Order: sequence, then C-alpha cells, then structure tokens
Amino acid sequence: MIVLVAGLAGAFLLAVGLGTVAVSPWDTTRLVAWKLHLIGHPHVAASTQVILFQLRLPRVLLAMVVGAALAVAGTLFQGLFRNPMADPAIIGVSSGAALGAVVVIVAGGAAALGGLGVSAAAFVGAIVTAFLVYRLARIGPATHVATLLLAGIAIASLISGVISIVMSLSGQEIRSIYFWLLGGVGDRGWSSLEVATPLVAIGIAVAVVLVGDLNLMTMGEERASQLGSEVERFKRISLGAGALLAAAAVSVSGVIGFVGLMTPHIMRLVVGSDHRRLLPASILGGAIFLVLADLAARTVISPEELPVGAVTALLGAPFFLWLLRRQRQVSYA
Amino acid sequence: MATHPRRFLGITLAAIVAFAAAACGGGTPHAAPSSSGATQSGFPVKLTDDDGVKVTMNAPPQRIVTFSPSDTEIVFALGLGDRLVGVSGPADDYPAAAKGITQVGAGQFGTDLNVEKVVALHADVVLYSFGTAPWMAQVRKVGIPVFTTHATSVDDTMHDIDTLGRLLGASSAATALTARMRRSAGLIEGSVAKQSAETCFYEVGYNPLYTVGPGSLEYDLLQKAGCDPVTSGAKSAYPQWSVEALVKENPDVYLVASESATSAQAVAKRPGYDGLTAVKQGRVDLVDSSLISRPGPRLVQGLAVLAKDLHPEAFG
Repeated sequence: MIVLVAGLAGAFLLAVGLGTVAVSPWDTTRLVAWKLHLIGHPHVAASTQVILFQLRLPRVLLAMVVGAALAVAGTLFQGLFRNPMADPAIIGVSSGAALGAVVVIVAGGAAALGGLGVSAAAFVGAIVTAFLVYRLARIGPATHVATLLLAGIAIASLISGVISIVMSLSGQEIRSIYFWLLGGVGDRGWSSLEVATPLVAIGIAVAVVLVGDLNLMTMGEERASQLGSEVERFKRISLGAGALLAAAAVSVSGVIGFVGLMTPHIMRLVVGSDHRRLLPASILGGAIFLVLADLAARTVISPEELPVGAVTALLGAPFFLWLLRRQRQVSYA
Repeated sequence: MATHPRRFLGITLAAIVAFAAAACGGGTPHAAPSSSGATQSGFPVKLTDDDGVKVTMNAPPQRIVTFSPSDTEIVFALGLGDRLVGVSGPADDYPAAAKGITQVGAGQFGTDLNVEKVVALHADVVLYSFGTAPWMAQVRKVGIPVFTTHATSVDDTMHDIDTLGRLLGASSAATALTARMRRSAGLIEGSVAKQSAETCFYEVGYNPLYTVGPGSLEYDLLQKAGCDPVTSGAKSAYPQWSVEALVKENPDVYLVASESATSAQAVAKRPGYDGLTAVKQGRVDLVDSSLISRPGPRLVQGLAVLAKDLHPEAFG
C-alpha cells in the first residue's frame, strides 16, 4: 500500500513535469508557492504559468479522479455481481451516459450550462439508465444478480442501437460525438474537476463503508445474509454508489475503457481479495494507471496526441496478462 | 487595428473577392461550354486518375454523380450543373442549386455510397476526391467509371479542374476558369509577398484540438496567404495537437474552421487560451471552411479571406 501511495505521488510529479513543454519541478514548486501567496512572483515564462495552472494540473488531477472513480466502480460491481467480467459498463451506465451526451451534442446544447451541457446530460443519462436497469431486473422483493447482468446487457444494446441511429441522422456533429465516445481527460480545465470531484468523493466514501459487506458477498448471497448482511439493501446502495462513480467519471471524460474492468483484477493479483485492502489499492491503482496512460497519450508523439482509451488498453492488457501468468492461483470471487 | 499606418497596395479585399467570385463562376451561364464539336472532338478521352486507375470516356458524360462537395462545385463552375444527377449529401451546399439534387450518401456517416441509387440514376461517371473507398470497386463492377482526384495544394486543384474539364467535355471552360483562378491567386500572393509572414494556427476541431500539417490543402493555402504555421513539424496532414504546445508556440493569428466554434469569444474562454497573444490582441478569426478545405473553384476566395485575416492592414 505504501508502494502504491508513493507510486501515485511519483506518477503525479512525473505527469506534471513532463509533457509537450517540460516544466521543471523547481518552477512548479515556485509557481505553486506563489499561487499560495507564500512568495512573490517567480521569474518563469508566462506560457509556463498558463500551461501549468490551466492545462497540466487540472488534466493530471482529472485523470486521478476519473481513474479512481472507474476503478472503485469496477471493484464494487465485480464484488456485487461476483463476476470478473463486471465493469461500469455492465449496468448500462456508459451507454446511458453516451446517449445523454450524443443527444445534447446533436441538439446543439453542448455550450449550455457554461460548457458543461454534455457532462450534465451524460450524468443524467447514466443515472437514469442504471435506475431503469435496476427496476427491470427486480422481480418481487429480490434482485437476482444474473437478471441484473442480463437486463444491463439488453438495455446497453438497445441504447447502442439508438445512438447509431441518432448518429446516422446527424450530419455535422459526427466528429464531436466520435471524440466524446473515444474519451479523454485533456483540455477540460478546472470546471470538470470541480463537478466530478465531490460526486466521486461521495461514491468512494460509500464504497469504503460497504467494504465489510463486499467481503461477505464473496462467500455467496445466501451465506452473506446468514452472516447478518442485509443483502438487498447492500445491493441497492452499492449499485447506486457504483453508478454515481461511473456516471461522474463518464460525464467529464467520455468513455474510457479498460480502467474499470482491469484495475480491480490487477490489484487483486497484487494485494489479494480482501476488500479492506483491495478497495484502497484500487483507488490508488486506478488513479496511477490513468495518470500514466494520459501522460503516455500526450507525450509519445508530442505535440500530437493519442486517444487515451487506446493507451489504457495498450498498456493495461499486456501488464494484466503478465500478472495473470505469474500468479495463476489467485481466486477471482 | 484601423489606426495602423497602412501601405496602400492598390488592391483591396473587395476587389479580390469580386475577382475570385468571378473566377469561380458558380453556375453562371457565360461559363457554359458550347456543346458543339469544339469541346467534344477530344473524345474518346483516356485519363488516369489519382489512384492510378485508367478511365476512358467515349462521349461527354450526360449524367454525372459527384461524391465530394468540391467536385459538385467544379461541375457547376464548368457550366455542367444541369448534367449533375446525384451528389453525396447535405455537405453539397454550394451553389444553392446543388441542394435540390438527389443525395446518394449512405451508411452511418454518409461516407458510403448507395450503389443501387447510382445505378438507378443511370450515372455515366462518379467523381470523388477523398481517397479510396470500398464502394468504388462495386460501382466499377456495374460498369460505371469512378474518377478520383486528391488535391493537396492550390496547384493540384487547378490541375484537377483542368483534368475534370477534359473528362467531362468542358476543357475550354475549365482552362478559362483555372486561368482566372491563377490570375487572382497571383495578385493575392503578390501582395502577400510584400508583407512579413505571421505565425498562425488553424483549428479544424476542438476537444480534442485538431489542426492542419504539411500535406494538407489548408496548409498550402495558409502558406500562400502569408502565414508561417506553427504546426510545420506535424507528421500528418490533420494531426491532433496539444494545447500546451499551442500556448508555447503562441501564434500571432488563430484561425478557426467555422464549424469548430460558435464565436471568437467562445474560443477565448477555453482553458489556457487567455494566455495566447492572438486572443489578447483580438486576432482570433472564424473562417468559412468550405472556402479553404474544398479543392474547388472557390479556393482562391478562401485564399483572399485568409490573406485578409493574416494581414488586415494590407487588405483592409
């Protein structure tokens, strides 16, 4: 765990320092100290100041928040569904968010709410879809995990169809839709961060409270309820928290794959299946992973950039496979 | 800006635009070729297109389908608008008469061509200028020739217009058109040459930021308009660009494709943009991208617009 904390600190410093324009740690320290009114204005190029405060810092911080949110959502869903394939997309959150965003882009409302129109619509779409899937999967008093998975997949396919139709009917906005679907954390400024951070903090706080129940769930639903877990209440709350996290992340960064699915697995291979260790590890691991993936995306062919979703897959998949081959005996539940 | 001491160059923007508009000749009757033997005597015409495909036209095509807005504009400018039976889609918006023509675009992004529709239209030829596409083989298989052009410079565009003139049996109209375009371009370039080059950046799209690099038509036009694009080191024609690099490169003039932003004010509000000199000095301009991204007859108008944005005191 200490290694992970150090890793995040290291990734943060690296990501703030490196980029199309290198900003030395000394300049960064002096500029931050100046911002905090500790020292007078240092002699640093004005462009460096703009790059650091308006572009680099919010970008790195957003990558941390989004990475952590996706990883925790993945941990919650994998624990809840006891299914290694579960990720934030599974209950329709990603497709719901995408539909919300696409509708607003096509309707020309992207500039509404101070440029956050797309984020707001994505958030609403994600939450509404998650709720809908949950209601559809509910039979009598209980929600069966398998029904929930299937309802999520069915709704996600339905929404994908709707998105395809909306896209083929809209001419001019294809490009912005395409890039929104591709995902990214660049050039969003502080406003996206201000919106996402409180929501993600709430989601993570709820997940931390649920750690005990998540551990009980690994033994199966029946056993969990015998051991005193209020299973239905746990399911509702963890679904809600996961949906909130995924919706917050997707609404500001678009659809970034792989982080939510793979981070919990990677962390399980590193720290084991106990959620008391797994959850904090996933928070840190998700943040590190996305910060580094974004760093690679913006530096490899600088000043040109790669889509971060492609980088998360390129970096994550081989690393995960390597871990998988090394420690084959670890349980998944 | 208006108070700057200006060098009067004997050529105003209004004159250039009027000249360029005349050169375009979009659908004007005087540009119509005579259908007499003079223009048809060249047939059968054997030409090789930009994909290296040999195309033979035995007679001037009477039913033309264009699958690129630039080809649509060229066909109209050659006075052959009444032979145009199909266009690609809503992007074929110039001249106004093009909007009423059957659209043959299909597929998710309208980038696929509906082959059945083209066959039903009894097309004699399909013109295309965006590279190779899967539908081409099918169209050729049913016996309809496809002729492609890939202009990446002003000179290419002139050459392609001349080539299409020969293919369509309107070579004299084409030669006259390109001669007028060359004259206008020459006048503009002559004036630009007396100015010092400004550094500039051309935005194709934002979030992520996309621009133009060497090898694109827009890049060639920017250079001819007296700009030294800060994206000269780009490895592709339409690269994604980091805003950080933009802030560091700090161009004198920031040009935005009309569909990429709603206003210069909206551009100024983006994260990091208030650090740009171009933003502080009000040198952010929205540019009608159909004038500079289409290798067609209005390209010289686009050149004039860019030259004015880059050197307002000379072309005011």
